[in-house]
Amino acid sequence: MMKWTLFTPELFYVAMAAVFFVGSLQRRVDSRRLYRWAVALAGVGLVVSVACTRLEGFLFFDSYKVDLFSQFFKVLIALGTFFVILVCSELHGIDPRKHAEFYFLLAVCTLAMMMLVSAVELLTIYIALELSSYSLYLMVPMRHRADRYVESGIKYFMVGATASAMMIFGLSYLFGMTHTTYVAEMVRVLPGLLHQPAAVVGLVLTLAGFFFKQALFPFHIWAPDVYQGAANQVTTYIATASKMAAAAMVIRFVGLTTGQSEALIQLLVVLSVLSMTFGNLVAIIQKDIKRLLAYSSIAHAGYMLIGILCMTQRGYASAVYYAMAYLIMNFACFMVVIKVADDGHNLQIKELAGLHKRSPLLAMTLMLALFGLAGIPPTLGFTGKFLVFAAALEKGYLLLVIIGMINATISLYYYLIVIKAAYLLEPVREYPPVRVDTWTRILSIVLVIAMIYVGIFPDRFVALSEAAVAVLP
Amino acid sequence: MNSLTVYLVVGAVLFSLGLFGVLMRRNLIGMLISIELMLNGANLNFMAFNRFLAPEPAVGQIVTLFVMGIAAAEAAIGLSIILALFRYLHSINVERARRLEG
Repeated sequence: MMKWTLFTPELFYVAMAAVFFVGSLQRRVDSRRLYRWAVALAGVGLVVSVACTRLEGFLFFDSYKVDLFSQFFKVLIALGTFFVILVCSELHGIDPRKHAEFYFLLAVCTLAMMMLVSAVELLTIYIALELSSYSLYLMVPMRHRADRYVESGIKYFMVGATASAMMIFGLSYLFGMTHTTYVAEMVRVLPGLLHQPAAVVGLVLTLAGFFFKQALFPFHIWAPDVYQGAANQVTTYIATASKMAAAAMVIRFVGLTTGQSEALIQLLVVLSVLSMTFGNLVAIIQKDIKRLLAYSSIAHAGYMLIGILCMTQRGYASAVYYAMAYLIMNFACFMVVIKVADDGHNLQIKELAGLHKRSPLLAMTLMLALFGLAGIPPTLGFTGKFLVFAAALEKGYLLLVIIGMINATISLYYYLIVIKAAYLLEPVREYPPVRVDTWTRILSIVLVIAMIYVGIFPDRFVALSEAAVAVLP
Repeated sequence: MNSLTVYLVVGAVLFSLGLFGVLMRRNLIGMLISIELMLNGANLNFMAFNRFLAPEPAVGQIVTLFVMGIAAAEAAIGLSIILALFRYLHSINVERARRLEG
């Protein structure tokens, strides 16, 4: 029976989903009370995930592995969920009658992603991935009084379903080549089979499913429309928490080859370059800040892939660190967007004008987060890019690093446009004052401190990410 | 040509037809059907590998059963979103749903 303690974080989120399921059955619900429940439960969930970090073991006929790698990502996912629920206090993007369902889907999606990072068996991985996708498919078109955005829901669904069909087809080849569905056994067999095209095709198609979640280049088409069409809080969730699980799975599956396949490395290099360049160039012309962040997320998926395609321990560790940094920076940006557009509309960049007078704290959070995304010291984004590029240089990918550097410079341009709007532009018309409650103030200060502290003293966090990837097979 | 190859070729053809359909069809229901076709290609692969190669005779069949169940859930979600879109557009043609240029 002791084994069930390994499953505690997931069980907690099952219970949380059950609470909101009951809530969704009530005829009348007070959305303030739901919000307080959600914050309390998500906070406890974060504490539970942190408390379970040191657990290790196998569950369910060895198809479920609890180790430092999976627990580290579970903490990141729980943190992302907690952050997103904290900024749901003004949930105008969702019909008040559907708030309970919104929290229910959020809990189910978090549960599914936690199962995904622990799953080490193909069928378990596939089912966990589908469960997390389905919750997101439903959350995207839930936006209140915005029928014209329903089409972003159908786009997300079609691209996602196609990517997952490609993934299961790839998994069928992997199963056929290695005669097993266990990842641990595959690691032993697969490197010897990589001279056969079917194995490489299978692996690439499998990765397609995760690239969709990460919004990497050929599967990025949904990102701008979905970011724009979904309610602000849902976008925040897609942009932060759901990226974490995808990054973990790409690391796990690329690790299957143990660096044996030249063809796969070349393909990943091409995808990474295309993703960075495309994302950064298109982001320049965006007017809507959520679309801008969508294209920037495509570029960041490319940076993260640089670390992963090194296929060394150091490369994986840098990617894990980058994922953590990205979660914090990106959330800080979205928090400002949600608070400035507190009636839930899509924020244009020009609406940020004069933010430093309307709310100096939010303006500073936004500036630091954007500097972090651009990779300017002393923020944690700089350390992340530094580690990723250092890992790539160690493997001798000089050209790739140069392209990455050029892209980082390009990205600085559009991040500066946003900062300029917040600090230098005078508003052309009177915007309503930004209401910043105590919680938001505390959250902003915590984020600012985290962004600078982790940037200046990264040692402990780098050591943590190295320890996390050390347990990978 | 042994019989495993035949099954794999049929599976690959089903998958390719499905992918082609998703990219070319302009009707949302048609696209949904094409996705099911892709999933069936994968199912056929699993069954064939299971029959000819796998040491454990049940794994591939179980995977196939799960994929069928998941495909049903996926179709339900897809149809519900299509219904929501239909109420707004009065059409299930994707050409009509292009206000947001991605």
